[in-house]
Amino acid sequence: MTVFCEGDLEVSFTGAISARRFDDANHGLSHCMKAVDFIVELRDRYLYIEFKDPNHPHTRQSDRRKFLKRLQTGEIDEELKAKFRDTFLYEWACGRADKPVYFLVLLALDGQDARLLGPRTTSLKRNLPAGPMIPATWVRPIAHDTSVFNIASWNSFLRNFPVTRRSTSS
Amino acid sequence: MPITRATLKRFTAFEDLDISFSPGINVFVGENGTGKTHLMKVCYAACDVTTSKSTFGEKLVSVLLPRRRALGRLVKQRSGHQKCHVAVYEDGRSITASFSYHPKSPHSIELTGTDDWSERRIRSAYIPPKDMLANAPGFLSLYESLDVHFEEVYSDILNRAFRPRLRKLENIDRKTILANLTKIIGGKVRYENEEFMLDARNGEIEFTLLAEGLRKLGLIWLLIQNGTLGNDSVLFWDEPETNLNPKLYRTVIETLLTLQRNGVQIFLATHDYVILKELDLQMMQDDNVAFHSLYRDDETSEISCKTVERFEHLHPNAILDTFDSLYDRDVERALAGIDTSQ
Repeated sequence: MTVFCEGDLEVSFTGAISARRFDDANHGLSHCMKAVDFIVELRDRYLYIEFKDPNHPHTRQSDRRKFLKRLQTGEIDEELKAKFRDTFLYEWACGRADKPVYFLVLLALDGQDARLLGPRTTSLKRNLPAGPMIPATWVRPIAHDTSVFNIASWNSFLRNFPVTRRSTSS
Repeated sequence: MPITRATLKRFTAFEDLDISFSPGINVFVGENGTGKTHLMKVCYAACDVTTSKSTFGEKLVSVLLPRRRALGRLVKQRSGHQKCHVAVYEDGRSITASFSYHPKSPHSIELTGTDDWSERRIRSAYIPPKDMLANAPGFLSLYESLDVHFEEVYSDILNRAFRPRLRKLENIDRKTILANLTKIIGGKVRYENEEFMLDARNGEIEFTLLAEGLRKLGLIWLLIQNGTLGNDSVLFWDEPETNLNPKLYRTVIETLLTLQRNGVQIFLATHDYVILKELDLQMMQDDNVAFHSLYRDDETSEISCKTVERFEHLHPNAILDTFDSLYDRDVERALAGIDTSQ
């Protein structure tokens, strides 16, 4: 089982056909294309996964405030959209667009009420577009669907891909 | 002095409830039929009798409006002639009503503590879910002369709204609230021949043409301006969210928290998650807020209450459960049967 670290967060993808970090040196096109953190292949789909962790213990208060501002103004949504689309194009060019793609975002704001992630997910669906926002004329959706999680709801829905915070688990 | 406690035995939906209140804001949540409105009306009746000519028993009947105005119909168990007891407490004093269901004498009641209780006047207002300001012209005279089937809270709130304005409003916080509300509703409220009007920048607007949510804010504006919601007063607000756009919730909660900081005790019944969350986000460490969850006990099927100080500890809570379920179902739909155990 491979364990991946993304800053202060640790995740494993038990049972997946494959799981790889996508935004590392192997990407090779970071000067012109954005990238999500991980790509996980399951039997019936690909999962594009992005972690956002403003609560990383080493994050400075000023950076945390900047992140919150970007979140509130919708900049983060724009960034997520760009990361998803560039990753999709990259993978398509590699011949790996043969299964539906789902985009999962972990927003590790400790203590945030998961109920409030519903509107955030809706906003991301509208931006990508994904899920019910996909036009009826599209026969091949780009993002099949998307969802935003906090750590607790991630671990509740994706039990085989547990996320832990390294600073508190040690 | 605020209302500190209420006990209800064999009264309407309650078998035996003993509940202590915060001197600040008391929020009641619970499914339909768990007695939130009845509880608030009992406390309101106890406050109102200190400023009106009604007795506690009469007021209970007029605000709850049992059939044929028979007090005995408010008794929970209608067999066995068991007495029901209703008591409301302030520090050091209480008012109690005891009565039973006797078909032959449906109005017999024992009251205790009445003299002591009436010595101090408790200013109070009960805002029902439906707006009455737009229907004000003629309603009070109609209510006084005919036996119309309206709970008295509707005429009471109009009487409060019609009170003349204070000559001078000293309190800075209240002035700020009034200024904020004036900005949101677009003008000041006044009445003429029992008709409420909004004095807006572009002319006057009758209340019947004003959005119901704005009428509610207009009512709060009036109650502050005429001193009804002054120090040591008590506000009961049943479902403030009704007909109010969620965008206005922030202002409503900000207003209520400010009033609480200025000596108004508040009782609030809600079905709305956003109202609860606004309170959670806006309340400060020194604010007095109690969340009361009314629910039917699984074993006894009777209504019980749990009281907590923090929103996140509120349990059981049908509102939060519903939102949890919405989020869960939304994620499940988005993941479309994902199987991570392959």
